[in-house]
Amino acid sequence: MATKTEYVDLNGQIYAIAGFDKQEREVLDKLQAFASRSPQWHEYENLWMPEVAKLYEPRGLSRRQIIDTPLYRIAQDLGSRLGIAQGIMRQSEDYRDELEHLILARFKTRREFCEATGLSEDMLSHVLARRKHLAIDTLNAALEKVGYTVHIAPLAR
Amino acid sequence: MAATGLVECSFFIPLIRDANLADGLSHPRGAWQWLDNELFERFGGRTKAPGEYHGFYQDPDTSEQVADQSIRFIVAVSKKDLKKLRSLLQGACVIFAQKCIYLSVGGKVEFVEAKRGNEN
Repeated sequence: MATKTEYVDLNGQIYAIAGFDKQEREVLDKLQAFASRSPQWHEYENLWMPEVAKLYEPRGLSRRQIIDTPLYRIAQDLGSRLGIAQGIMRQSEDYRDELEHLILARFKTRREFCEATGLSEDMLSHVLARRKHLAIDTLNAALEKVGYTVHIAPLAR
Repeated sequence: MAATGLVECSFFIPLIRDANLADGLSHPRGAWQWLDNELFERFGGRTKAPGEYHGFYQDPDTSEQVADQSIRFIVAVSKKDLKKLRSLLQGACVIFAQKCIYLSVGGKVEFVEAKRGNEN
């Protein structure tokens, strides 16, 4: 989970926390200490977001910029660990979940995504309904057309 | 106390994916993270109510009684931004594999359905 110099999230993403400034470090320490006491998920969830916002909003960061900060990501990851431990959510990410998020975030409709990637709407519907899988080369070729790719990441410890 | 012009909105996200639309499994953590990020970016925050809400409803497609457990979210939204919240919940129907999401706007209940073209 966390060391003094880095934090590895559930996706295997490594964050260098050695570079955090004093205030960022204080917020992280507070959130880690709170999470370590295994509070109810909602208690932690209602704590971390305002703590992170309170730190960065006076610095002039937009909400989008705040979401992209390592501290926001780590704070959110700590919440996910609690949510998984309490049976509220599942850890394993299916690539189809990520595909669904990508479509929703970047395209107006599934049809628009299919037109951009060359995938058939029928196939995509089956894939997102968990009835079928896409071959990895098909998935990669489709994603490359919209500026994405498949990658291999280390497992979270 | 000064009036804020904000409306209290709350909505329920069931803990599992609809068994008819999808697989009936719990949601991956990415789904909850997506919702948090959207609520933060669009409205500056949210409150998650304590515990799980137990309820039941009649499935419009199968006419069966379906029991569910949900997380209740509370968000303060200006009247002009209500459309943004409905639009977000249309997306949430897809991400959380729900036919519709129960939304209360200042005590008035509505059911938000997925956008056409994004259904499974």
